[in-house]
Amino acid sequence: MILQAKSICKSFSNGKNKLSVLSDFSLDVKSGQIITIMGQSGSGKSTALNIIGTLDHPDSGDIILNEKNIQSLDESELSVLRNRDIGFVFQFHHLLPEFSALENVLMPQWINGKDGDNLRATSLFEKMDLSNRISHLPSQLSGGERSRVAVIRALMNQPRLLLADEPTGNLDEKNANKLIDLLCEINEDFQQAIVLTTHNPHVAKIGHKQYILENGSLSE
Amino acid sequence: MNWENIVSKRFSNSSQKQGRILGRFSMVGMGVGCFAMIVSLSVMNGFESLVHEKLKGVEGDIRIVGQIDEAELIEISGVDEIMPYMERRGVIENGNDRRVVSLKAVDIQKMATFYTFPIRGKSPLVGEVVMGQDLAYRLGKDVGDDLMIYSPIDQSFGFGLPPKMKMTISGIFSTRVLDYDDRYVYLSLEDGNKLFSRKTGLDGIDIRIASNTIISSVKSKLVDEFGHQVKIQSWEDLNKSLVDAMKMERLGTIVILSLIFLVAAFNLVASLSLISIQKIKEVGILKAMGASPISIQKIMIRLGLSRAGKGAAYGFCFGVILVFLQNMFEFIPIPSDIYFISALPMVLSPKDYFIVILISFIIILIASFISGRKLSQTNIKDALLWSK
Repeated sequence: MILQAKSICKSFSNGKNKLSVLSDFSLDVKSGQIITIMGQSGSGKSTALNIIGTLDHPDSGDIILNEKNIQSLDESELSVLRNRDIGFVFQFHHLLPEFSALENVLMPQWINGKDGDNLRATSLFEKMDLSNRISHLPSQLSGGERSRVAVIRALMNQPRLLLADEPTGNLDEKNANKLIDLLCEINEDFQQAIVLTTHNPHVAKIGHKQYILENGSLSE
Repeated sequence: MNWENIVSKRFSNSSQKQGRILGRFSMVGMGVGCFAMIVSLSVMNGFESLVHEKLKGVEGDIRIVGQIDEAELIEISGVDEIMPYMERRGVIENGNDRRVVSLKAVDIQKMATFYTFPIRGKSPLVGEVVMGQDLAYRLGKDVGDDLMIYSPIDQSFGFGLPPKMKMTISGIFSTRVLDYDDRYVYLSLEDGNKLFSRKTGLDGIDIRIASNTIISSVKSKLVDEFGHQVKIQSWEDLNKSLVDAMKMERLGTIVILSLIFLVAAFNLVASLSLISIQKIKEVGILKAMGASPISIQKIMIRLGLSRAGKGAAYGFCFGVILVFLQNMFEFIPIPSDIYFISALPMVLSPKDYFIVILISFIIILIASFISGRKLSQTNIKDALLWSK
């Protein structure tokens, strides 16, 4: 088991109003598994992914990642965990605008204290059909290309868990299909577990397990 | 691969117009601070070394109070020249005018080489004196004039009057140090022996050490050798209150000039805070990829160092170049009748370089740390949602 989320609760308060987003949210992810979580906008998909990815803290519940309870880790240990064990693909790609596509992709390895595996990066660029975009800045790339660069970046440190938050949400159908095919390929090639959120039923079908997030908890 | 360096460089290059302008201001501020500190310290050093040279020129580098064998003393390594002396409070009589002075009887053969102060006239022979210009002015005397001197404490028991001697002024010296010009009268040891009839021998020996020798090391050798029988003092010990005052003045200058750095540091904090706001999202991305808060701090510190550090380096270099050029061409004049030199003295020591670099580095570090601290603790989720 790579990930266990046990009875996660999360709510946001705005003055007197308290909005419960996740209540008793539980999820198990095994190696090589693709999990899709479907839900409407505002259902808490991103919040769930942020908590699983240690970008946010739950109000209660446990997250066990690679047999470590992340609640017991301090900020530096969480940084190491995010760098080595988790890859993120965000809806809005979140590439660093000052860096070229290649530099963006190598950044997780640099942060990990490595020189950057140019060979691996280049082969991934080739695989994603982006060889001619290596030295381009994010502003010089199309939306689809940026998303694919973000996927390469998420894969660079070969994390055991890839979290994709509505990766196709900002793409046209053609590019969305291309990206989904790519994620499936990656899952087959690298045996990485993928947790993907979407509100698109078509995309959700790629999951070995497909969940719906409703009223703060998951149902199959 | 030092990725923090690369990120800080890119952040610096890509910061928006306002950030760049503020960054330049903090750079200029640090530069001005460094320049002002280098120049002020060098001028203070220049005047201090001038005063030191003057003091040493009058008193020698080390003074031994007590009687020791001169031959043994000259054998000590580092001792270049010695000047045996006798000293007494005495009176100069000029008609009805009497003035209390310090009579210093010295070896007149060595006087011209041992003392560095300028003498108008010549060194004294037996029956002659050399006096300070202020004293001569008060007495209305000049080179070649006669006067009576005596030491009241050395009155003979038989007659009840001290021996008086008629002396001729062979020269008038000008040290312009403390009240020496108004107080000292130099005469020969032979005359001293006659005047100071109650003295049984020399009062002590002034020592000049060899060039490139450290005074304290020679002093400690002398203490080891003669410390049990005589009192040994360096020129700094003899003028302790003046030396302490100069040290205090120097400290005050450093503290006051550090305020320029402080103002520049506020500017730096403002500049880095602006970059922090502009780069929150990027920091969120980096943290999502696993960058630790310490790494974010490092990025901000490097950013601060690259901006203000560059300014400080420029200011430092300009300051050093100015000192170098002044020493070479003496293009900044000062009135020589007041300061006894014609050009502004500037001296820089490695210690000063170190002080200036250290102060600027610490202030830049603190300013960068303050602005980076908040950024390093930014919530990743909030940072990713941040829109500029």
